[in-house]
Amino acid sequence: MRDIALAALDAATLAGASYADARVVFERSETVSVRTGRVDAIGSSETLGLGVRVIADGAWGFAATADLSPDAIRLAAREAVALARAAARTWSAPVRLSDAPIVTDEWRAPCEIDPFSVPLDEKVALLLAADEAMRAEPLVSVTAGSLDAWSVSKVFASTEGSLIEQSHTEVGAGIEAIAVTDGEVLTRSYPNSHGGQTVQAGWEAVLALDLVGHAPRIAEQAAALTRAIPCPSTTTTVILDGSQMALQVHESIGHPTELDRVLGDEAAFAGTSWVRASGLGTLRYGSERLNVVADATTPGSIGSFGYDDEGVPAQRFDVVRGGVLAGFLSSRESAVAIGRSSTGCARASGWDRIPLVRMTTVSLEPGEWDLDDLIADTREGIYMETNSSWSIDDKRLNFQFACEIGWEIKDGKLGRMIKNPNYTGITPQFWSSLDAVCSPRHWQVWGVPNCGKGEPMQVAHVAHGAAPARFRNVQVGVAR
Amino acid sequence: MSMHETAAEIAERTLALARGDEVEVLASVERSALTRFANNRIHQNVAERSAGVSVRVVVGTRQGCAATDRVDEESLERCCERAREAALRAPEDPSFPGLPEPSEAAAAPARPLPDPDAFGPDARAEAAAAIIAQSAERGLTAAGTVSVRAAGIAVANSRGVRLAATTGAARATVLSMHASGASGWASWLGTDPAELAADSLGDRAALLAERSVGAEPLEPGSYPVVLAPDAVADLLDFLGYTSFGARAYFERSSFVALHEGERLFPETLTIVDDALSPEAVGLPFDFEGVPKHRVALVERGVPAGVVTDSYWAAKLARTNTGHALPAPNPWGPMPLDLAIEPGDATVDEMIAAVERGVYVTRFHYVNVEDPATVLLTGMTRDGTFLIEDGRLSRPLANARFTQSVVEALKGLQAIGRTRELVGTEDGGACLAPALALASWQFTGQTG
Repeated sequence: MRDIALAALDAATLAGASYADARVVFERSETVSVRTGRVDAIGSSETLGLGVRVIADGAWGFAATADLSPDAIRLAAREAVALARAAARTWSAPVRLSDAPIVTDEWRAPCEIDPFSVPLDEKVALLLAADEAMRAEPLVSVTAGSLDAWSVSKVFASTEGSLIEQSHTEVGAGIEAIAVTDGEVLTRSYPNSHGGQTVQAGWEAVLALDLVGHAPRIAEQAAALTRAIPCPSTTTTVILDGSQMALQVHESIGHPTELDRVLGDEAAFAGTSWVRASGLGTLRYGSERLNVVADATTPGSIGSFGYDDEGVPAQRFDVVRGGVLAGFLSSRESAVAIGRSSTGCARASGWDRIPLVRMTTVSLEPGEWDLDDLIADTREGIYMETNSSWSIDDKRLNFQFACEIGWEIKDGKLGRMIKNPNYTGITPQFWSSLDAVCSPRHWQVWGVPNCGKGEPMQVAHVAHGAAPARFRNVQVGVAR
Repeated sequence: MSMHETAAEIAERTLALARGDEVEVLASVERSALTRFANNRIHQNVAERSAGVSVRVVVGTRQGCAATDRVDEESLERCCERAREAALRAPEDPSFPGLPEPSEAAAAPARPLPDPDAFGPDARAEAAAAIIAQSAERGLTAAGTVSVRAAGIAVANSRGVRLAATTGAARATVLSMHASGASGWASWLGTDPAELAADSLGDRAALLAERSVGAEPLEPGSYPVVLAPDAVADLLDFLGYTSFGARAYFERSSFVALHEGERLFPETLTIVDDALSPEAVGLPFDFEGVPKHRVALVERGVPAGVVTDSYWAAKLARTNTGHALPAPNPWGPMPLDLAIEPGDATVDEMIAAVERGVYVTRFHYVNVEDPATVLLTGMTRDGTFLIEDGRLSRPLANARFTQSVVEALKGLQAIGRTRELVGTEDGGACLAPALALASWQFTGQTG
């Protein structure tokens, strides 16, 4: 893989590139899923290819190929240079990159039990056991479970002299119980919705989830949702569980602080941001209790790496401190546009995509509350768990989330169960209403392996640490 | 050799290597390129050449799949072995109906195919520059894409299925932005890049942006709406995902299961999936090698059916409509070439018929809150206008909606007589007319 990357750099230089980097990526993946007692997918995939990114005539070009023959490598490099030269016709100023250290290094994430070494029949048996446990509940008519594993090895090389090899393994798993009544679909998931929990670890992390042990509880809750009350349409206090907080951070803090978005590079597809580059250090993002860090060194997180896909070392930095904007997620190109250095967030979803500014592990720092105490401290409100739907506008201001389940809070106690609760808000007002975050005991890193961005679309694996948190004066029960 | 001939050759080679009671091979050869611009300049310019092989091996009724993007002999052999190993470790599946037999294919429509070489970096940059110029000359900022994709797809199985075709499209999109935040949008999708009128596309978006300056917030509430084709395409996409597949029908999470045969919508509404339409760009067969059928999903206002693949056709005792996704497929069959049959109204006539309502150019970040009623939430974007006394009276700030599409279509007032081919996020495309609806629930304002 090193030789391929270095050959691509040579070819790009000969073709006229003033800068080039090459990434050779080998990725294995495996998926097993079951639905209502039947195995509905069992498969694996391998992908190996080369991506060459160049600057020529001051503009960017990128070409990717799965054919790794010497001729194909040269063709890709020449194509990248031709693309750059074509792009240059609309450029008013050449691309500039912030400085980055020249690095020769290897980085490997820990993994105790290689998930690919675990026999497929063992994985199938685990999912079927959880599935059967959920189907014991008569009102649950649809059950599902999935296990996924990924292994990525990649080489990054640049004409500046960096040569970096990295590898990591990830696993994901989850189950869901669905009660379908005429006209309603009521879902409960464990440990999270949208495929469960995904971590940078081995099979040991799947075993620790105890899918089978949690199956009866979520099936009972799905059944109970058929008898639950609808979400009242009102403005009230809301406590969100950690997994929903993770997505709230993702959509309304992670994305708006991506510097390429702030600078307009994503405008046509995912949108821009309400945050301006000039707001650094002064913009009031939320209440003083709001502290958010981006940390690409978080152990076990799918947002972690040794170096980003521009060869910039993984970093931990403040995004919001005491409610004030403190940093941006950035790449070398976006950072230099505001006179800064890259914060190491340029990530590509594979060999066939360019690095974009992506989240790493963007986390809400924990507070001091115990969840029981927080509920006891709440006279009236709603406690919501587990995301079921998310939507946010093109400036990352107006959002609406729905959750799988909620409970009334009355006089400090959880009351009746609520089905399909949702809430809506405007980003800075919402975060300004944050008045409590639970303690490290409740704090956990949640993987989000389905973060879409860019054209062509890239799906990134990112993560968020979060604990339950309380917000005042939130509009709930929209169109309920 | 054409792209699909190359794919067919790879599929044949792979089939010869695989061991199993039954074997299916899906092979693809693809070239794509995308020129992306923002801030009135091309900032990303990418191209890709790739190939892929997916193998499904069946042993008894046990199935296993494996995929690779390496098409050398050794990699293909390893891929086949991984699929066989997976099948041997899978449980028996008594409901597995067997791989599809060869069947008579309807004649695929002859369509021009974009040539990635002819629509190369310089031609795309020229188109991007022409689009950008329309905004830049008016002090606006343009962002968007000019792209081309061609893919040869081949399916072969041990029962004798041998199908191959090349498909592809060129696409251009543009968002034009005013310094105030007002914006306009235009898009084009077609098989012949020569038909891309870049100047006029850029002009449409820029005009919308200029008309959107001075937007005011919309008071939340229910309003009659006129939805432009881009907005309608989003609704169609979600209807397909939530409601028109056999799995959702079987699990009774689709409104089609609850209302099949009932007159649910006005008689003017017919929704079909039809990859064979001359206006569509989809493959004429599915990823199991079954020729696609035109399927009426809503026929003259009546929920009429869902799309199937081999497994779900057998399960539901229905015809296999040819809508399988690539194996392994936990999602079930999906319609990828949805269309609403055209009506008889022009957009101007639809607007003229509204006393007080809202015109929506397109939606943004739509998601499902309840699949059974297709309750969606999302935002309007890039050209939302208040309609008063039959004309667009003033621009509106983007607004959030939370609305059941099933309920909204019950109030269908008019359907546009022309349709646009609109690309969807999943790589499909649908044929969407403008729609006029009696009621649409706007639930929030821009912050």
